Amino acid sequence: MTSEFVFATAQYDSGDWDSAPLLPANIIDTIARYTEIPVAPTGVVVALSDDRMLRYPLLYLTGHLPVRFSDAERRNVKRFVERGGMLFVDDHNHDIDGVFHKTATEEIARTIAPLSELPNEHPLFSAFFKFDGPPATSHELNGWGDNLVHKHLLAVRRAAGNRIAVLFSNKDYSSEWNYHPESKRFLTVDNTRFAVNLVVYALTA
Amino acid sequence: MLCRLAAFALLGWLLGGSLIPSAGVRIERASTDAIASRLPAWTRVPAGVLLQLDLATTPDLWVADWLAALAHSGHAVTWSGSPPAVAMSSEAIADPRGSVRIDVAAPPGTAVVIHDSASVVDSVRVSQLGATVVTPLAMGTLAGNAGGQRFSAPSPDSARLRAIVVIGNASWEGKFVVAALEERGWPVIARFHVAPNVDVAQGADVPLDTGRVAAVVAIDTTVQSLGAALERFVRSGGGLVLAGAASLAPATARLALGSLGARTRPSVLPTDTIGLGATGFYPVGALAADGVVLDRRAGGIAVAARRVGAGRVMHVGYDDSWRWRMTGGAGSEIAYRDWWSRVVAAVAYLPGAGPTVANASTASAPLAGLIDRLGPARPIAAGKTPRRPVDRRLLLALMMIFLLSEWGSRRMRGLR
Repeated sequence: MTSEFVFATAQYDSGDWDSAPLLPANIIDTIARYTEIPVAPTGVVVALSDDRMLRYPLLYLTGHLPVRFSDAERRNVKRFVERGGMLFVDDHNHDIDGVFHKTATEEIARTIAPLSELPNEHPLFSAFFKFDGPPATSHELNGWGDNLVHKHLLAVRRAAGNRIAVLFSNKDYSSEWNYHPESKRFLTVDNTRFAVNLVVYALTA
Repeated sequence: MLCRLAAFALLGWLLGGSLIPSAGVRIERASTDAIASRLPAWTRVPAGVLLQLDLATTPDLWVADWLAALAHSGHAVTWSGSPPAVAMSSEAIADPRGSVRIDVAAPPGTAVVIHDSASVVDSVRVSQLGATVVTPLAMGTLAGNAGGQRFSAPSPDSARLRAIVVIGNASWEGKFVVAALEERGWPVIARFHVAPNVDVAQGADVPLDTGRVAAVVAIDTTVQSLGAALERFVRSGGGLVLAGAASLAPATARLALGSLGARTRPSVLPTDTIGLGATGFYPVGALAADGVVLDRRAGGIAVAARRVGAGRVMHVGYDDSWRWRMTGGAGSEIAYRDWWSRVVAAVAYLPGAGPTVANASTASAPLAGLIDRLGPARPIAAGKTPRRPVDRRLLLALMMIFLLSEWGSRRMRGLR
């Protein structure tokens, strides 16, 4: 077993959990670029129905299709959050009327607790880089999906310390960050910087 | 010359008589049950009467005090019997929940019932090394009863807790240690290193002194950044937990429990349930002479502690205890939280609560208190015939006459 940070993508039965296959490598590259956090060079995919998902206290979950957890998935996700894990869910549709948003938020409310708006002053947005709120994605600015720039992320927070247990995004970071790390050099501003905040926050808060 | 010798002989007899009870002295006897009712009468008896207690258990504190007062006022008070040697002490534990630890000493095998001013707290059978009971709450006076022998200790005030500083690299281990301590109620100041010149801080940065900080938990060698302040803090009473490989930091060289061995790496199957230390730890290689082993495993010493100055240092070799919390069996997150809280409580600086006024009718160590007041047991055989004692005033007058005669004789002979 290693003490490196391992980027873990959640696999679930009901939808297209693997819709952003390039994202893990890109985020791993970003963490290695900006921080001294020991990070595993490759990510892992872990089934929510498998107890081994508890080995990865930060889990990334995305998709376009309806989300419906099985009993085993629901039991493990509940246990994961109760023990201190953080679940990051990103709506790959970028559409608050879309099926992913509706079903995933409903499933989270059923399994853990209802989501609520995360204030833009939350420590997540200053954990490493300073942001005024969740950074907008090119997909939002181009008017895709629901044609909205979402001002807030949603979250389920713990009673102790106001910490995030589940983070839900309609920003479609799954599309924004789904490219080869080598392509970062063509960007004026690295659009994966918020991922550093996400990982640093998960590791320190 | 003869008169002087006679005066000294009388003086010696008086001294001897005060140390060795005479067979002819009148003796008043009382047992444990009767002593309290006999005290008023004993107070009025002449000083020459020997007061003898036959004790199955040690009397209450006020009775012992009364007897001590009689002894100080010239009465000869002695006691015999074999009351059980019991003792009790209580101490506030450095725990946000305000727990109290009660330590009981009694002969092995003794059953002791402990209660406070409200109700029974617990019952315990004493082993070879005594017994310890931890209770989250104690009201008023703590009292114990061991086969009729009563003893007590004042309930301590709750500990006033300072912050715990957790320092390390950004990692799951640091995150979950902070989470465990906060969930337990500890005020935590965390500082995690993320990148060159970038630390993530939680809580106000405070100077490292026992007025503000109770203990430092070093997750890894980043504790080096505290420099010499760390040793000053520990020597002045602060606590230090050196987790994982934190002992390798030069700043801990004079604090560590010993050299650090290579990390153990036991084989763990994917299906194994993870417990504390199941995934390996950093053992202490050569333990310091004053180190105490608290947890020894197949790979070596996993947990050990020592005192440094006024503070305490604990080596906790585990560097991924978070796996126990996340992937352990049912209830592992609670066990993990309790374990880390106990580790911190064991070293945390606990400011004194000031003198506690005991408001009890029984002593914390009744037999020791009795010996302190009346001296050790001095059994006197029953059946000895009491004889009227010689009036000591008469002896004094005789001594004066002898000495005056000596003086008069010398004056008449012209001697000085």
